[in-house]
Amino acid sequence: MLKPISSTNWDYAKAAHLLNRAGFGGRPAEIQKLADLGLDGAVSALLDFEKIPDPTPAPDWAKPDAEQMKKIQEVNRSGTPADKKQLQQELQQTQRRRIMELRGWWLQRMVSGPRPLQEKMVLFWHGHFATSYEKVREAYFMWRQNELFRRLATGNWQQLLTEAGKDPAMLIWLDQAQSRKAHPNENFAREVMELFALGEGHYTEHDIAEAARALTGWSLERQEERYIYRPFFQDTGEKTFLGRTGNFDGDDVIQIIVSQPQAAKFITAKLWNYFAGQVPSEALAEALAANFRANGNNFKPFLRALFCSEEFYAPDIIRNQVKSPVQWLVNTVRVLESELPPPLVSWGMLRQLGQDLFAPPNVKGWDGGVTWITTNTLLTRYNDAQALVEGQLPALTAGDFGGKGAGNGQKAMKALQRLRLGGVNVEKILSPEERADKTTIVAALEKRLFQASLNSAQEQILREFLDAKTKLSNADIVTTIRLMMSTPEYQVT
Amino acid sequence: MKNEITLQTRREFLRRTVLGSSLAWTVPAFLANTFTALQAEAADSAIQTPTGRDANILVVLQMAGGNDGINTVVPFTNDFYHRARPTLGLKADNILKLSDSIGLHGALKGFKELFDAGQLSVIQGVGYPNPNRSHFRSTEIWQTASDSDRVEKYGWLGRYFDNACAGADPAVGVTIGNQLPQAFFAAKPKGIVFNNPQNYRFMANGAATEESYKKLNELEMSSPLPDDNSGGSIAMLPAGMPMTGGRAVDFISRTALDAQHSSDEVRAIAARVQNQSEYPASQLGTSLKLVAKLIGGGLPTRIYYVSQGGYDTHTNQLGSQQRLLGDLAESVKSFTDDLKAQGNLGRVLVMTFSEFGRRVSENANGGTDHGAAAPMFVIGNKVKAGLLGKYPSLAPADLFQGDVKYNVDFRSVYAGVLESWLKTKSLPVLGKQFAPLPVV
Repeated sequence: MLKPISSTNWDYAKAAHLLNRAGFGGRPAEIQKLADLGLDGAVSALLDFEKIPDPTPAPDWAKPDAEQMKKIQEVNRSGTPADKKQLQQELQQTQRRRIMELRGWWLQRMVSGPRPLQEKMVLFWHGHFATSYEKVREAYFMWRQNELFRRLATGNWQQLLTEAGKDPAMLIWLDQAQSRKAHPNENFAREVMELFALGEGHYTEHDIAEAARALTGWSLERQEERYIYRPFFQDTGEKTFLGRTGNFDGDDVIQIIVSQPQAAKFITAKLWNYFAGQVPSEALAEALAANFRANGNNFKPFLRALFCSEEFYAPDIIRNQVKSPVQWLVNTVRVLESELPPPLVSWGMLRQLGQDLFAPPNVKGWDGGVTWITTNTLLTRYNDAQALVEGQLPALTAGDFGGKGAGNGQKAMKALQRLRLGGVNVEKILSPEERADKTTIVAALEKRLFQASLNSAQEQILREFLDAKTKLSNADIVTTIRLMMSTPEYQVT
Repeated sequence: MKNEITLQTRREFLRRTVLGSSLAWTVPAFLANTFTALQAEAADSAIQTPTGRDANILVVLQMAGGNDGINTVVPFTNDFYHRARPTLGLKADNILKLSDSIGLHGALKGFKELFDAGQLSVIQGVGYPNPNRSHFRSTEIWQTASDSDRVEKYGWLGRYFDNACAGADPAVGVTIGNQLPQAFFAAKPKGIVFNNPQNYRFMANGAATEESYKKLNELEMSSPLPDDNSGGSIAMLPAGMPMTGGRAVDFISRTALDAQHSSDEVRAIAARVQNQSEYPASQLGTSLKLVAKLIGGGLPTRIYYVSQGGYDTHTNQLGSQQRLLGDLAESVKSFTDDLKAQGNLGRVLVMTFSEFGRRVSENANGGTDHGAAAPMFVIGNKVKAGLLGKYPSLAPADLFQGDVKYNVDFRSVYAGVLESWLKTKSLPVLGKQFAPLPVV
């Protein structure tokens, strides 16, 4: 059972936990505000986000590009091979520039947008549906999918799964756009069950083949860059799918999938893992699924129950989740009240740390959890911390920027040399009283960075580091922050 | 002499640090307890585990994406082959004959040379019962050596570390890359991961910063025993979600200690040891080039893990597979040449695998779809060279859903490698007895 936590138990530490998990954490004043609101008020402040205006404008290119389509057609019709090549290069450059801009646009929303939980859910859905620009190759489609996740972030599961399936990026990503009655493509049909909604072992190869037949009418209108239903592609014969028989179409397939008892269990366990950082026990998994079903497969009331549950605030849940690279970066910028690095730098860091936004490693998405941490990624986090606090770029090599996303490695390196990071302003985040001596400095920074105390040995090492300075400078405090970020404890939340 | 220090085991390293330069600060009670317990434990273990400085080394090479085995080891006289592959079927001028009926893809020139020199064994028709066509699931099966209907938490190499490398240096397993392969997941995880030795270090703005970093990252574990099961295992649950035993921070602390321990050593070796052959500039070539240096430099590693991606050839397979296999053979040949010049070839075995082969019949897009059994390559100067196993029948009546059937269970190959190369019992590692295939 999901036990509601007593609201009298609400305190600063629990508010910090809620903001870390339901959002990307925040500075002490933000946490205090949630603590003052009480449990219900704090959860509502995060979850009822539609009440908060979000005026973030879309990127100016985020619309179907009829001009571009016309150009492509013209060149295809009457252009020379050289024209075609040139156009292709132009398009590629445009798309690369846009996808990089999109990464920055989204990260900035996570850092300073007014609806942290909505963005946290968008990040969940991106990892869940794991669509990559590397195949889609159209920034507009990636933005559109991102907006779909935002619009239905805490909506209804059947609606989200249906719309995600008809989303242009998904139609390309899992080849549904190429499916025809005569050769049904099984890619989406397989993954919608294996990875999106049921999990392995809850369907047969025959179910996949039948679902693929039913889904054949779902198609992509390339010209207008949108979904279209094509009756001519649709297999209208009888199908037997997950034990039911009928002339099913794609919408029926999704409806039947979502109505499986396993469906609620699958998605709620994954959400629990995302927010609580643990795989739920069998009993808890059943309770989560039951709650979700009772709430009509709607995520919002389910999440309210989750964030108000005793289980969510259990000692083995608090400060026991490995920060994803995105969580690590966004949280750092938020707690240090610094600037998000320019998109190219943020992207370079996240890519090195294993979480390249809009380019998950495969259709399964990121494994997450402890797999974020290897000897390599840990040292990289420690070194990136230096760059973030000191405002100096990490020692990246040309190879780090030679990948498909950045074009020519040398060019990117040169552009990089012109970029500047903000660094941390010690006087902004520590009051004169907090800066008074080594003990108050360490204590204030612990509260800000960890929302908890380090162990006494670690505190002593940090005090000794400060002690050794003849005259304490802001630079020494900056280095202390870097050292605190270069600990195992900073990697968890 | 510095090398001698960093080559200590994790326990000795921790002990030395505690007793050595760091005694200037007060040792916290739990760490003092830890130390005492460790010393008692260490005193009992008189057995010195062999390390990669003197013992045999295994290099596991993953060909990710599902390599088309049928166009890799080609049954060129087989009519069914040419009928199933009217456009993809390789012509005589792109086949390197190994026998009257079997040949290698023409891009595998380096492998042909190794074959002729008696240093390549081709194991034909390797797979497992009830094959799975999902990349993830099939990769997981190969990585954990499980039956296809069972989910194992730990990887087969992780279980090798757990069973045969207790107390060994964390560098007993090295992955070149950024992610720990599931094969390394273990109750007592071993293994370091890196891709670029130059960046594999803590960058400090001064000696005091570096010293503080080291101290902060030596404070291991909230649970008392570093090698205790409760602290920091890494495993994959049936739901496909990874987990640790114990608290996440314990796992990270362990990793932090391993990182600190290994980074100086790795960089020193990479800077000191020179390669003695030319490698392709590909990712695989670069990885193997680094592995050769680390072997030459005496890193105490038993298992190296490298990978090459791109084998998921659903469309236009001819060109992409040509390029990939060319890179593979060239990189591996450079590697064996390098090791030979070093005098280490006799201690190193390379084993390739891919999560599955591909469908016998080509598809409508000039490619092939996910299949089942495929060949494995084992390379080294002690291998049982030649064609092992039997080429699977391509006759339509012998296929299962369009795929060839396996003749050799991949776990027999693992068992052979474990028993005769790594000199350890395969049963505790594989969980079941598989007849070891005599690969060496």
